[in-house]
Amino acid sequence: MSDYLFIQSQDPFTEVRTEHQFALAGQLYDAGHNVRLLLVQNGVTPAHKGARSVHFDKLLKWGVPVLADNFSLKQRQILEKDLKENIASSSLDTVIDALLDGEKVIWN
Amino acid sequence: MSNSKTLTFAFMDPPFESERTVTFFRLLDAALEKNANVRVFAYEGAVALSFSKQAPHGNAVHGLNREEEAHPLSKDWVAALQQKATGKGLTFEWINCGLCVDERGVNDVIDGCGRGGPPDLWRYASKAFNTLTIGTR
Repeated sequence: MSDYLFIQSQDPFTEVRTEHQFALAGQLYDAGHNVRLLLVQNGVTPAHKGARSVHFDKLLKWGVPVLADNFSLKQRQILEKDLKENIASSSLDTVIDALLDGEKVIWN
Repeated sequence: MSNSKTLTFAFMDPPFESERTVTFFRLLDAALEKNANVRVFAYEGAVALSFSKQAPHGNAVHGLNREEEAHPLSKDWVAALQQKATGKGLTFEWINCGLCVDERGVNDVIDGCGRGGPPDLWRYASKAFNTLTIGTR
């Protein structure tokens, strides 16, 4: 079992490849790996309440831990209370901690 | 080199183009904050991040002179990270891909940034505790 942190910078509303990125994260999670997503840049947009992204929402429903970069949220005037349930704001420290813990960190 | 873990970052975005550049520099800063040694392999457009002839400019549309505009330059961010690492007793190494430099004519780089090639990325990645590659796509 491996630990994966996906840094998700692309958003599902303008980048069709995110469908496959979310699918890979879901498949790894389904296979028993520890998988987390950190949303950065425009990647935070599907985290907003009311935003509908079938593949992203499926990950949330499955219980894949999802974090959103607080700087990216602030730039887009998205408040914590605007986030969907089960999404927490975080900082980029999450990335460095994961790297220093030996996790597989993948930039999307 | 200090006894801290070393992280390698590979980056290919040019300055002044993409939000990824800001995120990349934030990651480098966060790594130093966590007392990690940092190694950067810059390739493609990213070799211009440390170009020493970058110059700030005013903003005539907004009526701001050069000082008021305070346009950020990536070479200054690199230098600031070098200083931060030195202050914390950490190492901060930066190598630009030589072929990418020649293509773009950005041979003049700030002190502390070197010239190399893909074997350096291999060396950096092989000897680092972990590596993050930030692709353009």
